[in-house]
Amino acid sequence: MTTPKLIFEYNTKNTEHVPNENAEVDLPNDLKRKELSIPDVNEVDVIRHFTELSKKNYGVDNGFYPLGSCTMKYNPKINEDVARFHGFANLHPQSPLLNVQGSLQLMYELEQMLCEITGMDVFSLQPSAGAHGELTACMITRKHFGAKRNKVIIPDSAHGTNPASAAMCGFEIVEVKTNSSGGVDLDELRSKVDSNTALLMLTNPSTLGLFEENIVEINKIMHDAGALTYCDGANMNAMLGITRPGDQGFDMMHLNLHKTFSTPHGGGGPGSGPVGVKKFLEKYLPVPRIVKKDDSYALEFNIQESIGRVRSFFGNFGMHVRAYTYIKSYGKMLKRVSQIAVLNANYIMRSLENHYQLPYNKTCAHECVFSGGSFAKYGIHTMDIAKRLLDYGFHAPTIYFPLIVKEAIMIEPTETEGKAMLDAFINTMKKIAEEAEKNPDLLHNAPVSTPVGRLDGVRAARQPNLRYEPVCRIC
Amino acid sequence: MNYIPITEQDEKEMLSLLGLKSIDELFVNVPAKLERELALDAPLSELEVRKKLHELSDKNKPMKYFRGAGSYWHYVPSAVNHIILRGEFFTAYTPYQPEVSQGTLQAIYEFQTLICALTGMDVANASMYDAASAAAEAMLLARSENEKNEVVIANEINPQYVETLKTYANACGFVISNELSERTSCVFIQQPNYHGSIENLHKFVADAHEKGAIVCVIVGEPTSLAIIEPPGNFDVDIVVGDLQCFGNGLNFGGPTGGFMAVKKNLTKRIPGRLCGLTTDTRGNQGFTLTLQAREQHIRREKATSNICTNQALNALISTVYLSLLGKTGLQNVAARNYKNAHALCKKLEAVGFRLLNTAPFYNEFLMQTPVPIETLNAKLQDNGLLGGLEIDKNKWLLCATEMLDEKDIEKFVDIVKSVR
Ligand SMILES: Cc1ncc(COP(=O)(O)O)c(C=O)c1O
Repeated sequence: MTTPKLIFEYNTKNTEHVPNENAEVDLPNDLKRKELSIPDVNEVDVIRHFTELSKKNYGVDNGFYPLGSCTMKYNPKINEDVARFHGFANLHPQSPLLNVQGSLQLMYELEQMLCEITGMDVFSLQPSAGAHGELTACMITRKHFGAKRNKVIIPDSAHGTNPASAAMCGFEIVEVKTNSSGGVDLDELRSKVDSNTALLMLTNPSTLGLFEENIVEINKIMHDAGALTYCDGANMNAMLGITRPGDQGFDMMHLNLHKTFSTPHGGGGPGSGPVGVKKFLEKYLPVPRIVKKDDSYALEFNIQESIGRVRSFFGNFGMHVRAYTYIKSYGKMLKRVSQIAVLNANYIMRSLENHYQLPYNKTCAHECVFSGGSFAKYGIHTMDIAKRLLDYGFHAPTIYFPLIVKEAIMIEPTETEGKAMLDAFINTMKKIAEEAEKNPDLLHNAPVSTPVGRLDGVRAARQPNLRYEPVCRIC
Repeated sequence: MNYIPITEQDEKEMLSLLGLKSIDELFVNVPAKLERELALDAPLSELEVRKKLHELSDKNKPMKYFRGAGSYWHYVPSAVNHIILRGEFFTAYTPYQPEVSQGTLQAIYEFQTLICALTGMDVANASMYDAASAAAEAMLLARSENEKNEVVIANEINPQYVETLKTYANACGFVISNELSERTSCVFIQQPNYHGSIENLHKFVADAHEKGAIVCVIVGEPTSLAIIEPPGNFDVDIVVGDLQCFGNGLNFGGPTGGFMAVKKNLTKRIPGRLCGLTTDTRGNQGFTLTLQAREQHIRREKATSNICTNQALNALISTVYLSLLGKTGLQNVAARNYKNAHALCKKLEAVGFRLLNTAPFYNEFLMQTPVPIETLNAKLQDNGLLGGLEIDKNKWLLCATEMLDEKDIEKFVDIVKSVR
């Protein structure tokens, strides 16, 4: 049995990164720390340790990462460089306005560009991720209606963060069903909207990878009932320069800069989830807001009806720099991003439709959703297909989401994959489909080529081991 | 600039497989089509975009900072950046496929361990957005545990944290009260507090627990944990804080990252990702995300929180930072902060400034100034130094970290004297 070597198991000589100091301080004894169980590890060992860990990881830089709903596109290196420019990286957020004009200008212009791209009137860059943006919008909804309206309608295909965000603000969640062609069931929607409905949260294109064809009508139904509408913009990568949530009739939306606008996912963040709203909701946006006066920029803190802050300072500013750089790089050619993202997804869908079951057989947006359900007869589940893909050097697609597709396999290629890569993936998927039939054990036993095999999730949950114990026994 | 490898020839072949003549045909059924070009600039080459960003960056004025107030100027060893720029880390997603994510997962496990060691708590999660939102999540956690909704916020908590708590309180149905009582769900205290003072947690915790309230400590300046008694030694229930101090730099306030650590009995209520050690089919040990029944992708509206993407790379930064510094380095940083701040304080007291902290302080302190702060800060700014934050008339919140040396402090005092 191999056990991973932890950073706590080195004990070498400390590297002097800061001047050596007599660590004795004249604090009263009852306030002074007696024990600190962190090891001293030399820089050489630290570098080798984390380099070794990185070898057990897979990122977009390693290969194809068709993780549906996550938009795992290439993260340009220039974005990393510019975010580290002295004026950005070493700027204190409590600096006077005079010292931060460049940052404020960047954020202001980014807000303007996001407005143009989405058709919203104003943006706040403060929320830290998509879910934080959703929460911000639910807070705005609360503020707008007070206790008068208490229901939020969410399609059954929605991401889990949508109902979770609404529930945090005390809303009752009402689910609407998806119809047989993959859209919101309009009759059901009409039957569920009433004078107690505050908000509809809808992902467009949906998590099935389909443009909501009745979106204008859906927004109208909600507005006629006096409710607000929110677009979960996680799938904006299908719409750049093609259609805008603002024009579709939405009142609010969030963007995931870490999806559509190429800021790196970092193994689970940092993200950035700007929220855009129509003019009539502007007064509720989080403070501070960035305002332009003549040729200089300022921060407005005193807005009577604002929901307030949702975090410290101005959001994940470093992500704003990266997204700004990305948008400036493409400029009006952004449309090409979505065109190719959609082309790539349709190419995969049509190339695999005879090999995997396609629950909604129509042109898709930037991702396509298959079902692995047809392999049940060989004792094969979607999980097995995903794990087998790892053996062939690909990352797995998103699986078992959306929940309404049995054994879902959700593939999002993004625009940054070339045809050769798509073909290689398609051929591998075909091969796996064949293996499932002829030699299912290859799939059951997969993955065999990865640093570890399938992990025992039940054991992980039943006997939680969430930290290295010897460390905490001492302290 | 574009990062699209598909050639015109590829496009043709792909369209032909789809039975289409033009790419526009993929969008025929899209409603509310934009019938014009996006009003954005022409595309820029990498060189042009680099210049553009340089111009913006040059409009900012970084200084030598004698100011903290929630963001602290600390040294970040070079090795940190080299590790986190490895594409295997920074271009990966949340580790949903553990077999190809052992690097991220092990780093999270080490992060959780380090946060537990520093705070003296039992269980830490994989990260939160920042300290402010982590505090707000602690409020939600407490309510789910004791089903009460009154919250008491101690004085001298960073005003941005208080504002964030108020935002969440208003939207999520909490009542903020000034008085500890049987109705109190959760009490918040900051350590060191907003004015840099080290609070006496003993009495605070005992009083709160007597009323059945949950105690949440917000760590004001996490490098202080190297030399002051950790909150975990005072029987607190939840500890939150910001990762900014642990290698994340200033970055105009973000991205930093937050942490949350709890007592064991609250494990099932903690928001966000948790990584655990388990075994694989080959009999080896390995890591995986666990206790996911708390999370939104499983529990939806019944989840403990809506958090999904967190601040994983910032947590990795902190893990590498803490590993590089180790116990000795971290204690050195803390000692240097403590001594610099106290040296600065003494020198200012000698020229007629009055220390307002009544308790021992760490690297930040509040001074009563004999002259208007505006005048002081203007003069300092002319000399490339950012003075303290004015938090009230003639009340100057100053900070001195390890980035400053004796010369900087002398220069600062000389300038201050000249204003005097
Ligand atoms: C459709 C959808 N909505 C919302 C989210 C939440 O976004 P974030 O992870 O940035 O909080 C995601 C991302 O996983 C998503 O795919």
